[in-house]
Amino acid sequence: MNRSFSFPERITAICGNNGTGKTNLLDAIHYLSFTKSYFTRMDALNVRQGKSGFRLEGVFEVNGQPEKTCCVLRENGKKEFSVNETLYEKFSSHIGRYPCVIIAPDDISMITNGSEERRRFLDSLLSQLDPGYLQHLISYIKIQQQRNSLLKSFADTHQQNFELLEVIDHQLVREGTPLFEKRKEFLVSFLPVVKQLYNNISQQYEDITLVYDSELLQDAFGSILAANRQKDLWSQRTTSGIHKDDIDIRFAGQPFRTIASQGQRKSLLFALKLAEMEVLRDKKGFPPLLLLDDVFEKLDEERISNLLYRVCIENKGQVFITDTNKDRLCKHLEMVNTTYQCIDI
Amino acid sequence: MQFSSALLENAVNEFAKLPGIGKKTALRLVLHLLKQDTAEVSNFSEVIAKMRSEIRFCQRCFNVADADICSICSNSMRKQEIICVVENIRDVIAIESTQQFNGTYHVLGGIISPLDGVGPDQLNIESLILRVQKEKTEELIFALNPNIQGDTTIYYIQKKIQPLGIRVTTIARGIAFGGELEYTDELTLGRSLQNRMPVENYVSNR
Repeated sequence: MNRSFSFPERITAICGNNGTGKTNLLDAIHYLSFTKSYFTRMDALNVRQGKSGFRLEGVFEVNGQPEKTCCVLRENGKKEFSVNETLYEKFSSHIGRYPCVIIAPDDISMITNGSEERRRFLDSLLSQLDPGYLQHLISYIKIQQQRNSLLKSFADTHQQNFELLEVIDHQLVREGTPLFEKRKEFLVSFLPVVKQLYNNISQQYEDITLVYDSELLQDAFGSILAANRQKDLWSQRTTSGIHKDDIDIRFAGQPFRTIASQGQRKSLLFALKLAEMEVLRDKKGFPPLLLLDDVFEKLDEERISNLLYRVCIENKGQVFITDTNKDRLCKHLEMVNTTYQCIDI
Repeated sequence: MQFSSALLENAVNEFAKLPGIGKKTALRLVLHLLKQDTAEVSNFSEVIAKMRSEIRFCQRCFNVADADICSICSNSMRKQEIICVVENIRDVIAIESTQQFNGTYHVLGGIISPLDGVGPDQLNIESLILRVQKEKTEELIFALNPNIQGDTTIYYIQKKIQPLGIRVTTIARGIAFGGELEYTDELTLGRSLQNRMPVENYVSNR
């Protein structure tokens, strides 16, 4: 079964009942931007049941020039990715060509879960802005693994080679410190934007604070590692470092995730994602594609309007929105007075 | 694969254990041996058995040797005060092929990687330190792979021999000779810029 869609308007509304393929269509756009699905890591899960592969084509217009992008998953599981019939050797070099931001319901875990999701968000954004960041991050993770293995081997063999531990500490500091500096520098300008956007969405002043939280703010990384050495030896892993960093979010002084309502959490998620979009826009010189998957659940009418105004009117880029409720979506889009195309799936 | 002879099957299985050899290639090799004279095949297997049982490792540098000391270490024309530290014997062969090095080697037998269960004790590091102390070495050249574990190994050994105050260097990392800038990956190109060298050195070294 083949289907093709064209999106002549800047705003595209995608409506249909559960399981009809709204999110699938959004994911197809994501796939052509990032060479992979947003929702699953396994390519085989993107294949139609009973089929052995897929072909996905899209025409992107960049600076007025159409580019034909194509992805094929073959029967043997091999994936090919091409732009204008030229195959990529490394998929990673495609990422960033069509900047794209997606907001999906499960993203809320970035607000409600532990710090890992927030670090991943930060890391993926900074990696897109600065290729050197990703390189340091990859090295940092490898050294951290080596260090943890060494700490385990100390416990297993009852021999403690502190000289080797110091060498590895030194390597960890060398990769970790620039990562810390980059995060600190970036968040100084980024977090106020998030806060501003949050208040815009909620249309009233709410007392939230976002603060970069890192042990490295207190002391140099090397001293922290030295101070925590006994603890590390005891727990057989690296208990301190930039892999413990977090963005501390508070609402009237209390941890945001524990007291904020569902709608407030969602508003904050939008604020983070929209801030990401602004950063990408400034970096690339044109606005990224925005994919909104079923985002209006749990939001009050006013927040929906504010949000739509921001993404459809203030934002000049192309937007794709899915919703099960066609009437609601169309009503709100008409309220912000924008032209749009509605696709019924 | 179905074999009508267990002897044949055993031989194929043995060949298939070798790196880069699959079952089909193994069968081809075995059938080739089968076509040859018995004497020739005996010679073949003897040479291999002899190689394994009689080969020795140089007591000084751990390179392969036919005697207690390898031919490189016992060559009086080579500068005994310069030691090139390498991971394995293949690296010795690679550097020897350049014909640019006239010192001696020290084969570590691996690099430090706790993740793979390799610590300093599993490698020929202690013997290197003793050797440097004993032999009045002037320079230690590290020729290890440019990755994290290679760096760990270099720093560790450097730390150990620091009190001796000898010159420690590492091979240059950068753009391949005959390579083109636009096809060089960013990491390598970036490093080359960071570690750029004065043109006088560059010209005089060519």
